Amino acid sequence: MDFNYILDALPDLMRGLKVTLTVSGLAILLSCIVGAVGAALRTSGFKPAEYLVTGYVEFIRGTPYLVQIFFIFYGLPSLGLRLSVFWSGVAALTLWASAFQIENFRGGLAAVSHGVRDASASLGLKRWHHALLVVFPLAARAALPSSMNTIVATVKNSAYLQAIGLVELTFVAVDRIAYDFRAIEMFFSICVIYLLCVFALSGLGHALEHRLNRPFAGR
Amino acid sequence: MLLLEFRSFLFDGLLNTLLLSLVMILGGTLFAILFAAGLSLPSRWLSRPVFLIVECLRDIPLMVTVLLVYFILPHIGISLNPFWSSALSVSVWGGANGAHIIRAGLAAVPRGQSETVQAFGLSGWKGLLLVVVPQAMPVILPPYISLVTGLVQASSLGAVLGVNELLRSAQVLIEQTTIARGGSPAYLVYGAILVVYFVLCWAIAFVGRRLEAHFAKPYRRDRPSIDRGKDPSQVLVPTVPLDVRT
Repeated sequence: MDFNYILDALPDLMRGLKVTLTVSGLAILLSCIVGAVGAALRTSGFKPAEYLVTGYVEFIRGTPYLVQIFFIFYGLPSLGLRLSVFWSGVAALTLWASAFQIENFRGGLAAVSHGVRDASASLGLKRWHHALLVVFPLAARAALPSSMNTIVATVKNSAYLQAIGLVELTFVAVDRIAYDFRAIEMFFSICVIYLLCVFALSGLGHALEHRLNRPFAGR
Repeated sequence: MLLLEFRSFLFDGLLNTLLLSLVMILGGTLFAILFAAGLSLPSRWLSRPVFLIVECLRDIPLMVTVLLVYFILPHIGISLNPFWSSALSVSVWGGANGAHIIRAGLAAVPRGQSETVQAFGLSGWKGLLLVVVPQAMPVILPPYISLVTGLVQASSLGAVLGVNELLRSAQVLIEQTTIARGGSPAYLVYGAILVVYFVLCWAIAFVGRRLEAHFAKPYRRDRPSIDRGKDPSQVLVPTVPLDVRT
């Protein structure tokens, strides 16, 4: 292994990492919003919305992510929606992650006990206050471990986007291998970078979990 | 219509996808058993490295693993064709995920069971297979079925290396018709492929639910028993929520 070569390639890899983090950051943000709204719709009791959300979740989870990406990038333009590589990537990653976040948040909502509703009714809280100030914090706390898993998976799955030519970390590595044939060096460095990202994120998740659990600890 | 016109071409792709998925499922199961055995080795010096490998495989993106195996193996003198290369990398990835499923399932069986097996003098393998594993099945199966659908979906990664499976056939079909006739039929072909994969995964989930029901049978409360006819409140075990903490 030639570490000087890795040092040489580092600026390129960092540019790739920046794209990886931007795409997955945007997708994480959007998918959390879609996930919260979707989970709320799914438990709203309004049947058509429930079926629609369930169908969406089942379809995304039942089809390969790579085919979804190709459908969005190559298929949508002929239906009149032309997105750049970057925004196709964000869209595909968001659509995929949202399906999982909806399930995670639904699990979180299910973990909030029914007594809470009676409690806020007896305190005279309005429906919106009850939903935003009481249920949401409890549900978010319950959903945190599983949604953290999805967030980590979102960062990892951004690697699939090299298949449509988004210049992210994996694409940079494969591109350089095509010119220099330094496969071992390149794969070693991107593996280390991905592992660091995953460790950092899951460490952050654990810290957050610990912090949010404080009101319940030590009893 | 385009899809009907090239149905035999797409059907060949589907067959290859099924074959590739089957190899991945078998390989993944094999690696899962190997890794699970490696994780429970008595010596820490042996089980720690296995743990490290499993964690790395789980944390590195699958796309990177697939490309890594394809590009690195020739460097160390092993050249596999795209089919076996993708089969190997996805199997290893599936094995790393499956190892934790198997381990959690076996850990869920109370210790008393394996101790009783020993007391009855059943040798290690027999006792494990005949007594412990059937009881672990209700815990293992649900995540294992979703791993199997994950493996079927991951078989589409073969297209990145150029295996002629369903996704690759779709790509070829789209390229050829775009060149020959103009106007990309991508949304149609990819849409159809999405539906095919969905039906495939749905079928696997269906079979999985039947299997789950089979292994859960001994634990069902409503099955006919000699207690029928007594006061139901005495027969049924009251369900007490174990975790009442909110």
